[in-house]
Amino acid sequence: MLLTLDLNDSRPLHEQVAGTIRRAIADGSYAPGDRLPPARDLADALGINANTVLRALRELRDEGLLEFRRGRGVSVLSRPDARAVLAEAARELLAEADRYGYGPEEVIHIIRELS
Amino acid sequence: MTLRGRATLALIWGVFVTAVLIGVPLVFRDRLPDPLATHWNGTGVPDGHMSFAANLLFTLLFWGVAWIVLMVLALRGPTLSTRLGRGCWCGFLFGWAVLSVGMQGSTLYVNLDLADWRQATLPTWQVIAVIVAAVATGVPAGLLGRGGPDPHHDPASPPIMRLRPGQRAVWVSRTTNHWLAGLFLVALVGVLATAVLAVTGVMSGGAVWINLAALSAAALLGFGTCSVRVRVDADGLRVGFGPLGRIARHTPVDRIESAWVETRSPAEVGGWGVRGLPGAGGRVTFMLRGGECLVIRRVTGGEFAVSVDDARNGAALLNAYVAERVDS
Repeated sequence: MLLTLDLNDSRPLHEQVAGTIRRAIADGSYAPGDRLPPARDLADALGINANTVLRALRELRDEGLLEFRRGRGVSVLSRPDARAVLAEAARELLAEADRYGYGPEEVIHIIRELS
Repeated sequence: MTLRGRATLALIWGVFVTAVLIGVPLVFRDRLPDPLATHWNGTGVPDGHMSFAANLLFTLLFWGVAWIVLMVLALRGPTLSTRLGRGCWCGFLFGWAVLSVGMQGSTLYVNLDLADWRQATLPTWQVIAVIVAAVATGVPAGLLGRGGPDPHHDPASPPIMRLRPGQRAVWVSRTTNHWLAGLFLVALVGVLATAVLAVTGVMSGGAVWINLAALSAAALLGFGTCSVRVRVDADGLRVGFGPLGRIARHTPVDRIESAWVETRSPAEVGGWGVRGLPGAGGRVTFMLRGGECLVIRRVTGGEFAVSVDDARNGAALLNAYVAERVDS
């Protein structure tokens, strides 16, 4: 499992860890049914506390992506549909923009400025 | 030599050896006792016998099973695609034949012109001579028949990824072979059972120690090779053996030339566990299951492969760190 942490990211560490695991599942490196490496291995490799990784794993379990099974570790339950997730977020953003009187073109312009 | 050529060689050689194994005893049948002495204790005094037919059948099976396996390997399976595989195959084909013929020859020789099998004593030098002859045939045959060195097949474009500044990227993976884990557990149970039998006095003497040594070795082997933990980070590649991964092999980034993914099977590399020859031109595979393997080439030329899931990401990250090292 490929994990990346951005040292300049201001988000809490467990959110970043959850994000990088979510991406690994979304890009197909881990398919539903596959077992994740143990939390301790992930924590050792990243040089962070095992509890931080466990917190991230629990978040992903609550999202329905992971499954905790006694004695069998953590395995992937379902793949997040990245496009659907993004489309939903974009829809909310457009609705929010509309409330302030901005149209889709201006939102795209803002996104271009940010990226 | 082509695969077909090897299969033909094995066929002709095998028919010849089989003919010798059948023909020679038949020629001397009138001068042999029936039954024959076929087993001796450590001092060369016979302690086992077989009828003429049973001994012939046993010898034919001893040679024939190995011959059939070698024929099948020549016709099917990727064994002969590696230099090590070809060497072992050729060595066995000729060494095992000499061992079979030698065993039978020495059995017939000591039984010859005797009235009863109990008189047939086996001099120790004959046993040693047969083994030495087999090794002396098998080793040169293996060296002659191993063919050219294995080609280094570099993938056209090894996987790579982009590292952003301020980013910490690691890759971890793990593979477990449940059969080897089972071997460890069975051997462990065996060790405990032997210990209980020894303490209660049911078993005693040398058998206890031989059992304990063999079972402990099997347990250690199973424990050390049933699982592998692989990690790639800025320091390089780390491969931890066993479920605890305490014993690890670390290869720093500056010792690695490139990494890629290859599909290998146990039949190709010669079985499970650590396989192959180390060294500058050698290739070692830590094989736990057939399929995707992460392969690295060291700057010294040697290759190391480990069977592990999600190897593409590991190879890509490793190549990224190698590239960064070269750039800076």
